[in-house]
Amino acid sequence: MIFIAILIGCILGAILGLNAPMISYTYSSYLAIAIIAALDSVFGGIASVIKKNFDLKIFVSGFFGNAILAILLTILGQKLNVDIYLAAIVVFVWRMFMNLGAIRRYYVEKWTDMIKNKATKEKKEENKEKVNEKS
Amino acid sequence: MRKGKITMTITIGIACFALVTVMMMQFKVVNETDITEIENMQESELKTELANWKTKYDEIDAQYEDTMQKIEEYKNDEESNNEASRLVQEELEQTNTLLGLTDVEGEGIVVTLKSGEDVAAISADDLLIIVNALKFAGAEAISINDERIVNTTDIVNILDGSFIKVNGQRILEPYVIKVIGNQSHLESAITGNGGKIDELQTLGHTATIEKDNKITITKYNGEVETKYLN
Repeated sequence: MIFIAILIGCILGAILGLNAPMISYTYSSYLAIAIIAALDSVFGGIASVIKKNFDLKIFVSGFFGNAILAILLTILGQKLNVDIYLAAIVVFVWRMFMNLGAIRRYYVEKWTDMIKNKATKEKKEENKEKVNEKS
Repeated sequence: MRKGKITMTITIGIACFALVTVMMMQFKVVNETDITEIENMQESELKTELANWKTKYDEIDAQYEDTMQKIEEYKNDEESNNEASRLVQEELEQTNTLLGLTDVEGEGIVVTLKSGEDVAAISADDLLIIVNALKFAGAEAISINDERIVNTTDIVNILDGSFIKVNGQRILEPYVIKVIGNQSHLESAITGNGGKIDELQTLGHTATIEKDNKITITKYNGEVETKYLN
C-alpha cells in the first residue's frame, strides 16, 4: 500500500519536475541541501511507519523544517565563509543510513519469519500425515 | 486506525512527490550547467575569476607602463644620438667639400688656355701661378681639365715640358680651369696689369675667361692616403 503511494508520488514528481522551469544555478546549492534533508525525512517517515510510531505532525514539520533549516544553515555558512552544509550533509546521510538500516532489518526479519513459518507448517503437515499413516 | 493509515500513505506520497519534483529540477540544472558552465557559474566563483583577471590586468598594465617608459627613454636617446650624428654628418660633409671629395656647384669663372703656335707651350709653372693667384683671390674649388685641385695636388712638367701632369694624370690642351668663387675677384686676380692671363696673351697664347653662374666641379678621383701621419 505504502509502496504504491511512493511509486505514484515519484512518477508524478518526475513528470512535473522535468517540465518545471529552470532555476538559477546560484540557488542550486541550497536546493541540493534541501533535497538531502527531505530525502532523510522521507526515509525517516517510512522507517517510522514500519516501527508503527508514525506521527503526521512530526513527519510534516520534519520534512519542511529540516529542509528550511538546512537551507538557512547553508546561507549562514556562505556568509561566514564556513562550509556548514558539509555538517548538514554528514548528519542527514548518517540518519538516512540508520533509517534504511531499520527498514532493511524489518524486511529481513519478516522474510526470515516467513521461511521459518513455512518450514514449521510443512513439518506440522508431515507430522499430521505421519499420524494419519499410523492411524 | 484505518483512516490514519490512509492519511499516512497520502502524506508520504505527497512528500515523495515534492521531493522527486525538486530533485528532477536539480538534475536538470546540474545537467545544463555541465554544458554551459561559465554562463551559470556561481557569483562567488565569478567574483574570484574577476579578481584574478583584475590582478593579471594590473600586472600587465604595470609592465606596459614600464615598457612605454623604456621606449620613451630609448626615443630620447635616439633623438640625441640623431642630433649628434646629424652634426657629425654636417661636419663631415663640410670637410669633404673643403677637401674636394664631393662634387660642388656654384658661381665662378672658366678659364680656357691654349698655347700659341710659334711660342713655347704653356708650362706647369704658368698653371701653378694662375692657380695660386686664384687661391689668393678666394677660390673655393678649382679644377684643371676636371682634375680637382686638392691638398695633395701636384702640377708638374714631365719630360722637359712636353706635357703636364696634374694629380698624376696627364692633361692635354686646351687647359680648362674651372673656379668657384667671387667672379669679379677671381677675374681681377688673373687679368689686368701684371695678371698672368694678360702676360700669356701678350706672349701669343689664347686665353678666354667666361663667367658662369652655375659651374659644376667634380670631386677628386684619387684616394687620400697617409703613410707617415699618425
